[in-house]
Amino acid sequence: MSIVKKKKEKEFVPSQPYTKGTLVVQIIMTAAALLFIAPLFIILNYSFKGKRELYLSSPLALPESLNFDNYAAAFKKLDLGTTFVNTLFYTAVSVLILALLCGMTAWAIARCHRKFFKFAYVYFIVGILIPYQALFLPIYMIGYRLNLTNTRHGIIFMYVATGVSFGVFLMNSFMSTVPLELEEAARIDGCSVFRTYFSVVLPLLKPAMATLVIMQAFQIWNDYLLASLYVSKKQLKTLTVAIQSLFSAQSSDYTTAMAAIVISVLPIAVLFLSLQKYFIKGMTVGAVKG
Amino acid sequence: MKKKSLLSLLLATCMTAGLLAGCGSTEAPAEEAPAAESEAPAEESTEEEAPAAESSSDEPVTLTVLAGQSTTDAGIEDMIDEALAAKYPEVTLEWECVDWGNDFQPKMQQYMQSGLPDIMIGKAQDVATYAPQGILGEIDSTYLDKGLDAARENVTIDGKTYGLVYNALYQGVYYNKTMFAENGWEVPKTQEELQAIIDDCNAKGITPFASHMIDTWSIGNVTMQFMMNDVFNNDPTWGDKFRAGEVSFAEDEAAQTAYQYNKLIFDNTYPETFSTEQTDCDAKMVLGEAAMKVSGSWSIQNFLDIDESFDFGIFPFPNQTGDSKLIFEPNITIMTSAATEHQDAVNKVLDVLTSDKELAVEILDYTKTASMLKDVTPTFTNPSQADIDAYAADGMIVDVTLGNNQLVWGGFQEENAKDIAAWLQGDESFEDCLKASDGRVDASSAN
Amino acid sequence: MNEKKKISYMEKKMSRQYFLMVLPGFIIFTIGLIVPLILAVRYSFTSWDGMTVEKPFVGFKNYIDLMKDSEFRNAWWFTLRFTIWNTIIQNVVALLFAVALDSGIKAQKVYRTVLFVPCLISALVVGFVWMKMFSNVLPALNDVLGTNINFLLLGEKKTVLQGLLIANNWQWIGYWMLIYLAGLQSVPGDLHEAAKVDGAGPVSRFINVTLPMLAPAITICVVGITTGSLKVYDLLVSSTKGGPGRASTSVIYQTYTTAINGRQYGYGCAMSVTLVLVLLLVAMIQVKGLKKKEVQV
Repeated sequence: MSIVKKKKEKEFVPSQPYTKGTLVVQIIMTAAALLFIAPLFIILNYSFKGKRELYLSSPLALPESLNFDNYAAAFKKLDLGTTFVNTLFYTAVSVLILALLCGMTAWAIARCHRKFFKFAYVYFIVGILIPYQALFLPIYMIGYRLNLTNTRHGIIFMYVATGVSFGVFLMNSFMSTVPLELEEAARIDGCSVFRTYFSVVLPLLKPAMATLVIMQAFQIWNDYLLASLYVSKKQLKTLTVAIQSLFSAQSSDYTTAMAAIVISVLPIAVLFLSLQKYFIKGMTVGAVKG
Repeated sequence: MKKKSLLSLLLATCMTAGLLAGCGSTEAPAEEAPAAESEAPAEESTEEEAPAAESSSDEPVTLTVLAGQSTTDAGIEDMIDEALAAKYPEVTLEWECVDWGNDFQPKMQQYMQSGLPDIMIGKAQDVATYAPQGILGEIDSTYLDKGLDAARENVTIDGKTYGLVYNALYQGVYYNKTMFAENGWEVPKTQEELQAIIDDCNAKGITPFASHMIDTWSIGNVTMQFMMNDVFNNDPTWGDKFRAGEVSFAEDEAAQTAYQYNKLIFDNTYPETFSTEQTDCDAKMVLGEAAMKVSGSWSIQNFLDIDESFDFGIFPFPNQTGDSKLIFEPNITIMTSAATEHQDAVNKVLDVLTSDKELAVEILDYTKTASMLKDVTPTFTNPSQADIDAYAADGMIVDVTLGNNQLVWGGFQEENAKDIAAWLQGDESFEDCLKASDGRVDASSAN
Repeated sequence: MNEKKKISYMEKKMSRQYFLMVLPGFIIFTIGLIVPLILAVRYSFTSWDGMTVEKPFVGFKNYIDLMKDSEFRNAWWFTLRFTIWNTIIQNVVALLFAVALDSGIKAQKVYRTVLFVPCLISALVVGFVWMKMFSNVLPALNDVLGTNINFLLLGEKKTVLQGLLIANNWQWIGYWMLIYLAGLQSVPGDLHEAAKVDGAGPVSRFINVTLPMLAPAITICVVGITTGSLKVYDLLVSSTKGGPGRASTSVIYQTYTTAINGRQYGYGCAMSVTLVLVLLLVAMIQVKGLKKKEVQV
């Protein structure tokens, strides 16, 4: 079967001989990696320094002692118990809904050639281009009229609304990996459009969906604007909003802010590291159309 | 192969689904979670709320508060919560703290579309912006009477007072007292005297002025200080005349002089000023690398944090006529919503703020600011206090709210500062800089 | 006849079902984004300040003023340069890194992780961190090394773009690299072998075999980087605040300060609408062009 054939990608390039050239590349990449990691090291270094040390010692000097006061302060100020769970919840639910919606929408658009669907595609694409930072007042006004502000479903609604266009664009570009023959076979067997989608197409789209999930998850995890517009209640706040208020508050004492950065990045970095294999896998299938 | 990719997808889905399920189940008891964790004093209010609600006849009320804060103010919300919990445990505040400079105005616009929070904390100049929209509530005289009369004028519109001014800042030139004494410099009253000090500094290899021009707001701030003494002291309605087309930056020499002082600072500060932030700048001042800094009380917190024994004073930036006044700025200003459903509770908060002297002292000591309440004096040692008292005794103090109401900050002063920055860096001519300010005439008033 | 009718009935039924599948996304998207956009278009014909109840209609005045607004033009100029440089640098470097990692070096995963981690940090934080890097950390490095390199990139009009590009690229290169890497690793080995047999050198193999296979990845990266860069805002808020002067003011930053701080909401809306139109045009051209290439391949 053609699908099986198309799915046949290798995970890694078969081991190439390690030549002199490879060594040079290795050295260059090591240098690049060190440059990339330097700012991260600086963040970490600052996060252990005391306020006075900040001014009196060189930024490159290591902290006098491993002092965790900044972490304690940041931990308390960020209200991690609430903000972390909130952010995780908003991200997970939005991404799940997005995966469901975008797959369906993109497939319908790809398969039905009526004018409306062509229009719908362009219509969705426009969304990628709307700078919603500039539309924040109307966005808020709509949300307020519909009682979406300061609710969990409200912010999730907005993440879906702002993510759907990129999702449709992405999924649509994968539709060519879905072989028509299979769908036609299903239809001849008497499957409705819905059943065809859910039982035949959806399983084939899952790799693409993984890409979508990953790309959108980062976006939503790091979103500041929508969260600050839609949730102001303490028990609904997200991590980025908490960090931002810490930033504007602590600009004179940024050691605490640096500790907050470490705290906020750590969970998602650990998540990424432990699930890296699957992420890469999702991307692999995502970036290559069969 | 297919299996593998499916598996990975499944895992990703499971992960998200797991998170979802996990969060879904914790959603209901979410209220308990923070309470159980709270060892922080800030959270005490939530803990105490429950028993209080049973014993007290007063219904528990939660008020929303939008606080537009400056860097020095962050943290006072915890102090207020604590004091409120002690006196009125039935009232809880739900804070939304934002940066005044960047986020207060957008938040206010946002809430004007839906409904204002019960309490808003901003600056005195906000009253002039929002009161004419008819959205602010009048503050009861019971509370106003506990404050000093000095700042009332600028938060009163048509005889009604819409803001309670809580503390105040002083602005002027902070100077290193030890350095002044060592070099035999006297506090300058005129431009010539100031120039003499600058020359002496340069001769001795001392940077005359510490400055942090990466923060465009600081350019805007010092420009208003200059405008106060060179323009508004002679003509308190200069802004009105500007809008009427009678005066302009392109033609008014006094206003141009005020702009030109920026150049004087720029030429006599360290070269990396456009890459230096406030904290680093303040540190340089404390470490004795610079002699003076045109700034405000917000620097005191930094000065004393870096070196408790740093000895500094303050004088007004000399103007052309040699009669500069020290600048006074009402800072934390409490406003209330005209449409609040909990006026009683709002009044309780105002009561705590105005009658709890311990709280007031705690806040003033923390923010290193001056009191606007009667019979309240901060206890922190402010080396510049003697200077302030001396200017106050001579009546040489002026409220900058006048200038900020004549020419507003957002959209005008703030934008002009960007042109001044471009001019200082040689990217724009002085004429263009003035012309740009004139072009913004429509945005120069809040209404 | 009958047969035809049946088919058209079937088709109708099917397209109705397709329609139902598109509908939920369509509605959510419309309410959440298109309606606000329409509102913005409406406000762009008013002189609303964003606060008052009445919104006085002024016709095309805002758009006409926009034509004469040099600050707006400068914001566009900055944004365009930022976008073009980003698109070039990020694509090229990400692709080079991907090729390097794919060349059989050891500990590939370690490099991959290190290069990727910055994009887990929000742009707000990235701006803040790099401002510290440029103004405090790197100058201190000068002292240590005894060199005199100008690291104060964000403090001058001439160099502020370079500084911001470094920060932005630091954040995103790893992300796009991962997509290219994924693309590279799925280029079938036998294709390379075949080309090798034909006598193609490594460079010509890369151009003729690898690059075409990467076409979809290139589309995603180019569109993603351009539209993302045109909308730059968060990065500026926490670093330069559009300065020094207005040297790093992007279109969105300018829109935001005009609409909100300047209390000219209607005028700001006209700026947003203009930006949407330009973005739309750019993306259409890009997608069309890149798609064409894909097909040709």
